[in-house]
Amino acid sequence: MLLVKIQSVLVYTFLWGSIYLLISLGFSLICGVLRIFHLGYGVIFVLAAYGTWFFLDAGLGIIPSILLMILLQIVITLLVFYKGIFQRYLEQEEILLTLTMLVFMMVSHLANYLYPVTAGVNLPTTIIDGTFKLGAVRISYQMLFAALVGVLVTGSYILFFLKTRLGLIIRAMSQSTQASLLLGADVNRMYCLAMVLSIIPPTICTLMIAPFWSIDPHMGSSLMMTAMLIAILGGLGNLKGSIISSYLIGFIHASISFFYVSRFMGFGALIITLAVMIFKRGGLFAGETIW
Amino acid sequence: MVSIELKRDRLLMRWKQQKYEWIIEPRYWRNPILWSLLLLVFPLFISGYPNILTMVTMANLYAAITIPLALQMTGTGRMNFGPQFYLGLGGYTSALLNLHLGFTPFFTLLATILICLIIALLLSPITWIAKGLYFSLITLILPLALLDLTYIFSDLFKGEVGLMGMDPIISLGRVTWNYVAYYYFSVFLMLLFLLVAEKISHSRFGLTMASINENEDVALMMGVNVNKYKVFYYVFPSILTGIIGWFIVHTFRTFAGVTYLPLDFMIKMLIIVMIGGRASVYGMIPGAYFVCFLEEILRSIGTSNYFVFPLVLIITLVILPRGEGLYGLYHKRHPRDYFPVMRVRRE
Repeated sequence: MLLVKIQSVLVYTFLWGSIYLLISLGFSLICGVLRIFHLGYGVIFVLAAYGTWFFLDAGLGIIPSILLMILLQIVITLLVFYKGIFQRYLEQEEILLTLTMLVFMMVSHLANYLYPVTAGVNLPTTIIDGTFKLGAVRISYQMLFAALVGVLVTGSYILFFLKTRLGLIIRAMSQSTQASLLLGADVNRMYCLAMVLSIIPPTICTLMIAPFWSIDPHMGSSLMMTAMLIAILGGLGNLKGSIISSYLIGFIHASISFFYVSRFMGFGALIITLAVMIFKRGGLFAGETIW
Repeated sequence: MVSIELKRDRLLMRWKQQKYEWIIEPRYWRNPILWSLLLLVFPLFISGYPNILTMVTMANLYAAITIPLALQMTGTGRMNFGPQFYLGLGGYTSALLNLHLGFTPFFTLLATILICLIIALLLSPITWIAKGLYFSLITLILPLALLDLTYIFSDLFKGEVGLMGMDPIISLGRVTWNYVAYYYFSVFLMLLFLLVAEKISHSRFGLTMASINENEDVALMMGVNVNKYKVFYYVFPSILTGIIGWFIVHTFRTFAGVTYLPLDFMIKMLIIVMIGGRASVYGMIPGAYFVCFLEEILRSIGTSNYFVFPLVLIITLVILPRGEGLYGLYHKRHPRDYFPVMRVRRE
């Protein structure tokens, strides 16, 4: 029995941790590059689910719907968040935070107005149906696929930041925007790129988890909270920290739900994050750089 | 010996080394008196409309929550994302003590103050440990952790339904009279908090608040014990917020964490702080009234009000001068009047 529990904890640490990686990657990226706290991050999850559903509802196929949704995400991210809020209020952080939260609130309520929970939004994004047994643990193929995609996306982001010229510029900006400007970096363009890059992992995540995770117009809050916890625990804007803290939060959730009671999952993670923040200022990898 | 002097705009009283002064020039006290009188006679015109009376009572309570919050934000130089934590703490303390141990509202008030004092003192080191946004994040987590606790121990906290049937502060026999009495209580609390905040801000003690808010390092260099003051500016407003929790419990006689602890409630408080004018204590009252009236007006357009409400707030925040809220409008006409407003720092 104990062995089965340990096995379950290990398997679900990997599965949940990898999915949490997808959830938090974009948030950490914005924290690391723009050095701000994007409290409108939850909009990405809501738009990914309800934007796709909106185009599906209009009679388009799943692929065109996803492509149009991504286009909509980019437009909203760049025009509303970046041009409308971040650029104008970068030095007035309190207004920036309030406005981003208000936009998030508005989009969630708009989604709820157009498609309330009773509308039964159901995205047909299942890649592989069914379940299989790994040792004593039963897992759904879709969840495993989502986890593997999480690892793959994170890996490609790391390669992008470490091996490409653009990645190098973004890393330099995360260390010092002023110095990067002096060296000729086009900071505005790089910020836009970082914003666009930040929407990809959560969008993929929403599409991947939609078949087995409950979709509702207010799902953005809980997913954003998870992203925030991971970013805080790992150290704001540090991708290494985000990777480790994603699996750590996955481990905490899995351990509490398999060894104790699942309703303590969220509370346990909150308390551990709080303790880390108090005793280890700046999180596990407190660094002024993205990597 | 006591000596009294009449100056051009103030009355001065000296006793030994101490000096006390009261401003007597009308331009300093006329407007507050007029507004307070307006608040006092307001129920005479709307006592037949309980929904409006409840709305303005809520507006007063929101203002009473955000006035200490504004004091806290300027005094600690940090943005607090979890004022509702102490509201929940105060509310649950008084509700549980009243329901399970039979404490009267007076004793639940004392217990609320004590509990909020202890918890706030225990948590106060975060004002020096956590810099910039980390402080905001810790304060954001606290109410959510409390909310989680209310779900986990739903036998005690009654989860989403909440606790009901607590003793009222006052019962006048008729529902309308009770509504009017609660309105006056809320006005009293709001004005009391405003007076306290105003007195602190304009005292020598309050000068430290402005200095910490303007530049913490310079304040430290000038000999201000920043950490000590930060503890005060964290603990004292937390207790005041806890008192509002106590008030809600003993007036509405129901208290559910799900109403006051989630992000939505925090966003509303934050909006009042911003619309009122970046944590200027005077701006909190028009800010709270603006938000409550707007919410009520938009209710008439049906379910779409849920997304129109934040949209209108976004527009308001953007078009108000330099994003400085309603206080900004006042400040534009009185540029020489100094009152500290919040300045969020990253370091």
